[in-house]
Amino acid sequence: MEQYAQKKVDFMMLKAKLNFIKLSLIAAALLILISWLFIFIVEDASISALFSAKNALHTKQFFQGLVGIHEEQPAFFNIESWKDALSLTYDTLMISIIAIGFSAIGMLLTVIPAARNAAEGTLTLSRKWYNWLIFGFIRCIYVFSRSVPELVWAMVIVFVLKPGILPGALALALHNFGILGKLCAEVVEDLDMRPVRNLASSGASSGQLLFYGVLPAVMPKFITYMLYRWEVIIRTTIVVGFVGAGGLGQQFKLSMSWFHYTDVTLILICYLLLVGFVDLFSEGCRRLQK
Amino acid sequence: MNKRSYLSTILIIVFLFSLTSIQWNKELFHSGGGETLLQIIKSLFQPDLSISTLLLALKSAWITLAYAVTGISLALLIAFILGILASGVLFNSGFGRWLSFGVFRGTLSFMRAIHELVWAWLFVAAIGLSPFAAIFALAIAYGGALGRVFADILNDVPQEPLNALKSSGASKLHILLYAYLPMTASNMLSYTMYRFECAIRSSAIMSFVGLGGLGYQIQLSLSELRYHEVWTFMFFLIVLVSAVDLWSNMLRKRLIL
Amino acid sequence: MTVNKMFVLKNISKTYGEMRALSSLSLIVEKGEMIALIGPSGAGKTTLLNILANTILPDSGEVIVDGITLHAYKSTKQFADKVGMIRQQFDLVGHLKVIHNVLAGRLKDWGFFKALLSLIIPQDSKIAESALEKVGLKDKLYERTSSLSGGEQQRVAMARLLVQNPQAVLADEPVASLDPVRAKDILYMLTKLASEEQQTLIASLHSVEYARKYFKRIIALQAGRVYFDLPVEKVTEELLSSLYSLEEEKQHE
Repeated sequence: MEQYAQKKVDFMMLKAKLNFIKLSLIAAALLILISWLFIFIVEDASISALFSAKNALHTKQFFQGLVGIHEEQPAFFNIESWKDALSLTYDTLMISIIAIGFSAIGMLLTVIPAARNAAEGTLTLSRKWYNWLIFGFIRCIYVFSRSVPELVWAMVIVFVLKPGILPGALALALHNFGILGKLCAEVVEDLDMRPVRNLASSGASSGQLLFYGVLPAVMPKFITYMLYRWEVIIRTTIVVGFVGAGGLGQQFKLSMSWFHYTDVTLILICYLLLVGFVDLFSEGCRRLQK
Repeated sequence: MNKRSYLSTILIIVFLFSLTSIQWNKELFHSGGGETLLQIIKSLFQPDLSISTLLLALKSAWITLAYAVTGISLALLIAFILGILASGVLFNSGFGRWLSFGVFRGTLSFMRAIHELVWAWLFVAAIGLSPFAAIFALAIAYGGALGRVFADILNDVPQEPLNALKSSGASKLHILLYAYLPMTASNMLSYTMYRFECAIRSSAIMSFVGLGGLGYQIQLSLSELRYHEVWTFMFFLIVLVSAVDLWSNMLRKRLIL
Repeated sequence: MTVNKMFVLKNISKTYGEMRALSSLSLIVEKGEMIALIGPSGAGKTTLLNILANTILPDSGEVIVDGITLHAYKSTKQFADKVGMIRQQFDLVGHLKVIHNVLAGRLKDWGFFKALLSLIIPQDSKIAESALEKVGLKDKLYERTSSLSGGEQQRVAMARLLVQNPQAVLADEPVASLDPVRAKDILYMLTKLASEEQQTLIASLHSVEYARKYFKRIIALQAGRVYFDLPVEKVTEELLSSLYSLEEEKQHE
C-alpha cells in the first residue's frame, strides 16, 4: 500500500515535470514568434532590402577591400604592419592574462563564504549567525557582476581610468569574477567532506582545515574553470578594445572607421591565431593536470 | 614537487609577468577620475526611478530580449543542421565521415572563434545598418558554439538502439529520426537554454552597431553623464538576465529525466 | 538443395586479435526450426548470432541465408525481410513512445518523409496495435518507453519484430536480465509467436532448463566449435555436465 502511494507520488511529480517542460516550450515558441514579428513589423527589418543592388555592390566592395584588391600594398604583405599587429596581439594576450588573474584573486578571496555548506557551517565546522548574511551578500555581488557584460563595464571604467591595458583588463575581470565565483562556489559545495572531517577530528583549526583539507581538493577544478574562462576572455578581449581599452580591438575599431580594410584582415588573422594558441595552451595545461 | 604544483607556479609567474606590461603610476587615472568614481558609486544607491525612465527601460529591455530570441532561434537552426553534419552520423565510415569532421567542425570553430560583436561590425560594413546585422552576428557566433556541442552530444549516444534499428533495415536518415534525435533532444534543448542567458548579454552590447536596447541606453546616459539613469538600465539588465537564468535553470533541471 | 534451408554455414572462422571466437564451424538450419544455443560464456554464441544477423563479417567461410549468400544481399531492407534480431532491453529508444519503437520495424518500408510524419501522426498504427495486443501491452501504446519495466520493454522489442516480420528471428540472451517468472513468460511468448508466424527461431540462453523446456533442437558451443547438436530429447545429463565441466577445468589451469 505504502509502495503504491509512493509510486503515485512519483508519477504525479513526473506529470508536473512534463507539464512545466510543455509550458516552457509553448512559451518559448510564442516568444520566438512574437520576437520575429516585432523585428519585421516594428523594427522594420526587410529581407528584400538586404539583397538590393546597392547592398550587393557595398558587400562586394567590402570583401574586395578585405582581400586587398585595388590596393598596392595590402597590410598583410607588409613587414611593418605585421610588427605593429603582433605587438598589439601581445598586448591583447597580456590583457587577458591580467583579467583572468584579477578575477581569480577576487574569486579565491570570496569563494569559501559564498558556498552553501560554509554558510551552514558544515564546511569549516564553525557555525556563526552572520555566515548566511555574508553568503547572501557575496552571491548578490556575483550576480551583479556577471549580469553586466564586459563591454558595459568597460564603458563605465574608461570614465575613471585613462584608455590602455588596465581598464580593459579590469572590465573583463569584473564580469568573469562573478562567473568564476558562481562556478567555483558550486565546486566547494560538491566537495567530499570525509577528509575534512578527519582533519577536524585530529584537532585542526578552521584555518588549517581550509588550507590542508579544502583547498587542495578543490584547486584542480578551480584551475580547469580558470583555463576555460581564459579561453572565453581571449575572444572577448578584442571587444573591450572597442571602447579604448587597448590591444587589437582598439586598432580594429580605428581601421574600420578609416576604411583600412586590409588592416582589418591582418588584425582578424592575428586574432584567430591568438585564439587558436590560447586554446592549445589551455588544452595542454589541462592535460598536464591530469 | 608534482606536476600540479609546477603548473600552478607557472601560471602565477605568467600572471606576475603580465602585470609588468602596465605602467603603475598616477597617469592611469583621468584627472578627476577618483571623483567620477565616487559619483558613479553614489548614484548606484539612488537609481533614477522616474516613470519616464522606467518605461524607457522596459521598452529597451524588450528590444534586448527580442533580438536575443531571434538571434538564438536562428542559431539553433544553424547549429542543428551543421551539428548533425559535423557529427558524421549521416555518413558511412571512411572518406565522407572524415570530410564531415574536417569541413563542418572547421566551419563551426571558425564561426565561434570570432566574437559576435566583431561579426556584427563586419556585417554592418558589408550590408549596412540593419537589424539583420545584429541577428546574423548572434546567429553565427552562437550557432558555432551550439553546433559544436550538438555534434559532441550526437556522438555520445549509446550504440545498442542504433544497431537494432540498423538491423531492422532502417536507413541513416531513419536512424537519425528514430534514435539520435529523440535520445539527444532534451540535452540539446538544455544547452540552448544555457546559452540563451549569454545571448541576452550579447544582445545588449549590440548597441555598438547601432542597435537599440539596454546597452544603447546605458551608452547614451553615460555620454551625458547621467549616472543615476545608467544604474536604472543596469538593474533592468541584471533582472532580465537573472530571470532568464532562473527559467533556464528550472527547465534544465526538469529536462534531465 | 538449399530451398528449405534458412541458414547454411560452411567453415566459418572468426578471431578477435589473439582470441579465436569461432573455428571452422558448419551448420544447417531448416526453415521453421526452434533452436536453443547453449554453452559456457565465451564459447562464441553471440559471435555466431551476429554473423547470422550480418552485423559482423566472418574472417573466412560462407554464410547462405534463404538460398542467397550474405554478400549478394543488396540492401539492408532486403536482409531485414529475412532476419530480425532481439537482444537485451537496451535496444529500444527510451525517449520515444512505445508506438514509435514498435513502428520502427516498418522503417525498412518507409521513406524519410513518411517516417518523419509518423512521429507526429503515427502511420500504420493498426499494425502496431495488433502487434502490441499479441504481446499483451495494448494499453501502453502511448507511454514513454523508458517508463516500462524490463520485461515489458522486452515485449515491446518483440512487438517490433512482429511488425518487421522477418523469416527468421535471432535472440541473443533475451532473458538475461529478467527474474525467473518474467523470463519464462518472455520465452513462452517468443516461441509461441515464432511458431504462429512460422518463423525460424534461434535463441542463445544461459539456462539449460529453459532450452529444454521451450526448444526442439539444442546446439551446444564449446570454444568456438559445435560440441553437440541434437534434438532436445537426446540431450543427456552426461553431455551437459561434460559441456560445462570442460570450462571449469580450463579455469583451474
